[in-house]
Amino acid sequence: MKYLDKETFLHRLDPRSKIILGFMGAILIVVLRAPIALSLLFLTVLAAFGYLRPARRTVWTMIILMATALCFTMISQGFFYALEPRTTILTILTPDSGMLGSITGGIALYQEGIIYGALQSLRLFSAMLLSGVIVMSTYPSDLLLGMGGLGVPERIGFVVTVSIRFLPTLMDEAGRILLAQKLRGLDVKGVRGGFRAFRYLLPPLIIDSLRNARRIALAAEVRAFTGKRTKVRELRFSLRDWAVLGFSAVGMIILILYQGGLS
Amino acid sequence: MIDIDSFSFTYPGMDTPALHDISLRIESGEAVLVRGASGSGKSTFLYCLNGLIPHVFAGVSLGSVRLNGFAPPEVPLREIARTVGTVFQNPESQIFMMRVEDDVAFGCENLLLPREEVICRRDEALRSMDLWDLRRRETFKLSGGQKQRLAISSVYAMGPQIFLFDEPTTDLDGKGRQEFTKIIRNLKDKGKTIVLVEHQYEDYLPLMDRIITLENGRIVNNSTAMSSPMTAKKTTAAPAGTAISLKEICFGYDREKNILDNIDVTIQRGEVVALKGNNGSGKTTLLKIFGGLLRPFQGEITILGVPRPTLESLVSHVGFLFQNPDEQLFAQTVAEEVAFGPSRIGKKAEVERYLDIAGLKAHSRLHPQTLSRGQRQILAVVSIMAMEPEILILDEPTTGLDRRSWHELFSLLYDYANGRGTVIFSTHNEHAASAAGRRITLDNGRIISDEVSG
Repeated sequence: MKYLDKETFLHRLDPRSKIILGFMGAILIVVLRAPIALSLLFLTVLAAFGYLRPARRTVWTMIILMATALCFTMISQGFFYALEPRTTILTILTPDSGMLGSITGGIALYQEGIIYGALQSLRLFSAMLLSGVIVMSTYPSDLLLGMGGLGVPERIGFVVTVSIRFLPTLMDEAGRILLAQKLRGLDVKGVRGGFRAFRYLLPPLIIDSLRNARRIALAAEVRAFTGKRTKVRELRFSLRDWAVLGFSAVGMIILILYQGGLS
Repeated sequence: MIDIDSFSFTYPGMDTPALHDISLRIESGEAVLVRGASGSGKSTFLYCLNGLIPHVFAGVSLGSVRLNGFAPPEVPLREIARTVGTVFQNPESQIFMMRVEDDVAFGCENLLLPREEVICRRDEALRSMDLWDLRRRETFKLSGGQKQRLAISSVYAMGPQIFLFDEPTTDLDGKGRQEFTKIIRNLKDKGKTIVLVEHQYEDYLPLMDRIITLENGRIVNNSTAMSSPMTAKKTTAAPAGTAISLKEICFGYDREKNILDNIDVTIQRGEVVALKGNNGSGKTTLLKIFGGLLRPFQGEITILGVPRPTLESLVSHVGFLFQNPDEQLFAQTVAEEVAFGPSRIGKKAEVERYLDIAGLKAHSRLHPQTLSRGQRQILAVVSIMAMEPEILILDEPTTGLDRRSWHELFSLLYDYANGRGTVIFSTHNEHAASAAGRRITLDNGRIISDEVSG
């Protein structure tokens, strides 16, 4: 999942608003218990995700990930749910059925467990989609700028920006090294081949990165870099931001206060 | 104005000075070419001007350097950067931001100029360096020439009077070098002082006011005469059967656009072929087809008598060298590096012989990455030769080599071809191409000329 170069309402929001929204979402994910409240949260985030119209591949990856996670949590929680009251749907081993039964205390599938698993999944999915929405709608360096605006030290922000800038370069390089290995007859098939390729991949990759780091450092020096900088990209908090944040805050409070009534 | 008076500099732990008793005066608006072999002190010379010596690289210096009335050692780098701008060889490592316009602003932001002024200078630089239309582009999507133009723009926006270029076009093709010529002319018209260090400087000679030659850290004066051009030993081996034959080859990474369009070519055993053309003309793609790394979606290909061979079946018959030697050196020592390929394909490695050919015998126990750039390139070449492939394919093998390493490389390649090996290499350098017995020129995925010298 990566940044989508578009001009949507979400793109126009100040990165700080999006970070704050992210935090609000995180609080809701932890605090909300009522299934309906959690579903509402999930649907809101899902709507935002759909609004950005991500690539078909991204959507499919998400669907596969979510389906797998849903099955696993529902089944595992279904078996290991320990709180009373619990309703048994399917008994596999009763507590009094011999050794295994007495050790495990019986194995059964519980209805409450399945529901609890589904709720946990909703939390997980909301978090996944929410971070997706922020990443897809915020230019990476703006995201860092936003963190800077919220108190993350500038130097760290700069280091992260430069590292992100060099990721594609590093990936290209790794690809070329792997191909060069293959052409020198290195057998890279299978798991063992993979390890072998990795062993010969790291030294050139690291040494070249170090050489590169030195060159980058020199280039930064002669461009007068000291850490203190004027910022051309300014963050502007507009009416839009206040409106969205206000609306979300009200929604958040209502959800938290009245979630008991919703269940 | 640059004023250097009996200046010497010695790096820590070295016995001999890197620069020895340099006295030189460069007037404002003058364009000066500095040339010399690798290790002659060219880069050190630039570092003394831009303040990297002594602010980043310590050492012992004697004598004085003054720029527009101040001495670099006495002024912090940030201040020097207002007067002196430096552009290095590798454009990739001089770009810090993800978007073109952000990167042009980078230097000005560091100078702590007011925001409005930064924007003003940024936009002026984007316009006069012809990057305006690319300003919203992501930097990693630019071509090599565009990246270097961006690096120069970022320096230009900082408004220095003196421009230092440390091999700025070594990694660029003919088009990129043409672009650079334009930039130099532009800077000259604006009255900037230019100091250019470059191995392949022929294109820029008409723009230079003076040529300074460095040798072992000393100025060898007034040698405006050109150094002798490549003296190539052209291969005399008679054709001995077909190595590669392509018929009506088309290739594209997506179906809409063909990178290679209807290529028909036959290469004989024992030939040395240079493949010329600008970036994007399809050189590297064609090399990969020659080497069986890519499969054309149309046309017939026969390599060493086998139609449409697989990559696996070619590994021991075709050697392929990519551009950057550093991505192709994996082993712990130079000797192991040479043995790496042969041992993987079950051949006996004649390590001694190949180290001897490469002139690297004395370094056999060193780590490959500790060698000089030229030596690493030669090592990468012999490591592939040691696999004794029938066809040797090299992508831009002369990049970043000085003339001496260049001669070494070519005599290696010719010896190899005389032993009935086929050599195909791509280059955007005319002199390198003229060393080959046959030159094929590509433009937009088509062969536009194919000449054989007698």
